Amino acid sequence: MTDVMSNRARGVRWRGPVAGLIRTAGGIGAVGVKELRGRMRGRRAFVILTIYLLLLGGFAWMVELLMERNASSGFGSSTYAGASIGQGIFAALLMLETLQVVFLAPSATAGAISLEREKQTLELLVVTPISSIAIVLGKLLSALVYVWLLIAASLPLTAVVFVYGGVAPDDVLRGYIVLIVTALGLGSFGLLCSSLVRRTQAATAITIFGVLVISIGSVFLLAFWGVMTTHDNNDGNGPVRGTAPQEIGYLNPFLAQVDVLCGTETSFGGWCSLESSLLPNQNGVVFVGGGGGPVIAPVAPVAVPNGKGIFIGPQGQAVANDVAVAPDAAPFGIVRDGFWPRSVAAWLVLSIVFLVLSVQFVSPTRRWRLRGRGHRQDGPA
Amino acid sequence: MTAIVRTEGLFKRYGRTLAVAGIDLAIDEGEIFGLVGPNGAGKTTTLRMLATLLRPSAGDAEIDGWSVTRNPDQVRRVLGFMPDVFGVYDDMKVWEYLDFFARCYGLPAAARRRMITDLLELVDLAPRRDDYVQTLSRGMEQRLCLAHALVHDPKVLLLDEPASGLDPRARVELRELLRELRALGKTILISSHILPELEELCTSLAIVDQGKVLAQGRVTDIERRLRFGSVLRVRLLVEGEALVAARDRLAGDVDVASATILEDGTIELGFRGDDAASARLLAESVAAGLPIVSFARAASDLEELFLQVTAPDRQPLEAA
Repeated sequence: MTDVMSNRARGVRWRGPVAGLIRTAGGIGAVGVKELRGRMRGRRAFVILTIYLLLLGGFAWMVELLMERNASSGFGSSTYAGASIGQGIFAALLMLETLQVVFLAPSATAGAISLEREKQTLELLVVTPISSIAIVLGKLLSALVYVWLLIAASLPLTAVVFVYGGVAPDDVLRGYIVLIVTALGLGSFGLLCSSLVRRTQAATAITIFGVLVISIGSVFLLAFWGVMTTHDNNDGNGPVRGTAPQEIGYLNPFLAQVDVLCGTETSFGGWCSLESSLLPNQNGVVFVGGGGGPVIAPVAPVAVPNGKGIFIGPQGQAVANDVAVAPDAAPFGIVRDGFWPRSVAAWLVLSIVFLVLSVQFVSPTRRWRLRGRGHRQDGPA
Repeated sequence: MTAIVRTEGLFKRYGRTLAVAGIDLAIDEGEIFGLVGPNGAGKTTTLRMLATLLRPSAGDAEIDGWSVTRNPDQVRRVLGFMPDVFGVYDDMKVWEYLDFFARCYGLPAAARRRMITDLLELVDLAPRRDDYVQTLSRGMEQRLCLAHALVHDPKVLLLDEPASGLDPRARVELRELLRELRALGKTILISSHILPELEELCTSLAIVDQGKVLAQGRVTDIERRLRFGSVLRVRLLVEGEALVAARDRLAGDVDVASATILEDGTIELGFRGDDAASARLLAESVAAGLPIVSFARAASDLEELFLQVTAPDRQPLEAA
């Protein structure tokens, strides 16, 4: 017999609010270490990382070849061919990584809590002094660490675009901020589904459905709304008045990346065109002209509509009696950083909301319960 | 003696179902307390409320002076809980499993290492230290789960049906382990629907049914308090008419309600008396010249009592 019981467990005793934070951090660490031991054990994680980078590299190489052929067979000057190749590779990599994050982040968290319920291990966990916040954050961060690792590992590959030009380091930074925050937001969404639904299969299905609604549904709705407001045979107005609210697109990380990519364009290119067609009234991209479509504005600042019926003067001041001012009037009337920061902010706010809800649903003695669910879960002995 | 676990008017309602209907328990420090009752009696619900996994609909419970409703964090630090059904994590080694729970209790690294070694020895899993948890047998998993409940050296252990699904050897080993833990000063609250499982192990019992405590106290006290009649088995060295005459002689005693000759020649007596009365009957029978080979109370007496008090058509009993 050992002396295990004669030694009182020397758990650290903390007091006060700082102590609460330290305890929560300790709990996050405990859950995180446990999760990462499972995820990173052996060669599996690193083999996947290697394959991922090889595929991403192969993809970038193919895009480079395509862009090169396009540039050499096109008309006009080839002075900016390098820049357009760089922009093309950057756009392709960024969109592919966004696609990867959009599906990988929520998938990594969709089973985090429901698997614990299915395996009947959650009770063992929640009966320890570890807080529900620590459980939720530990699960989220350990799942996202791997997604963020994939994102970080792709950075050197993305940096290849600097060889060609056309993309500045701050463009890459913007794109990666969107990626990281999107991973956080969608990871939190997956975690919420996982804490709400008992079965992992159902939680994953709901999560993927939500992702499809966010990524495809929002674009479809914006396009549909746009058509309904602008196309009509008689008076030029559609059956719906006004324009589609850009808030619909806030949660679409692809649109946020379109905004980032639009910022790299030195002329009114494909990404800006796509953005203006889906988000005609957003503040981020401002075009001069109208009617038949966007017209490239001269370099000198001119009065431009900002989408709220307010005109921005040549010096950037609001001409009308309102307060809106274009933050950074770039050449060709494009105002940078108008849309994606809102998308990022929306995801940050939503992440907090999702996490607060997840904590509630993980807590064994929570006060908010879905009708009928508690009975099934905590059936009488 | 002070009660380290105390419940007062504990209620739990699920919609229209009353799972626990006002349970009052008082468990002294150092006891092995058995919560026994048929399936659906409210045992698991009671334990889950004590473990802070369920909020009581009414009433409260205290463990080591902490309220399960007002101070759940403090309660979690003084108790170890082993649920009736539990799973194990995949991709986790035995030592990692204990290390994880020790981290949850905020144990520093050095204490964790020492604790893991000691606990694995205690539950006899030291040779399996580096094995994956999912490769353990059911009995080993049960012992590992018990070890996990001990990582923070709790004062109170709540064990919900710990022997369910175990083979006889594993049951005996578990029983020995629990005795060892009691010797180390732990208070153990253990639930089961199989009374013999608890009868030998527990110092005190509460018989629960339909969410209520029907009887509570020391095992011997409960037997004495609730005994409606017991069964005595008498074996004699005679056969045939002599055996019938012996049966008639025994049936004539004032405390004997019935006397039946079984197929193996044993006489089974329905007996109304207490221990003193059975001693008197034995003495008188020997004095009357009956060649008695054995004279004993039926082995599973408390179980019969349990069946009587938890029978569907039972008369209401006054809880002890």
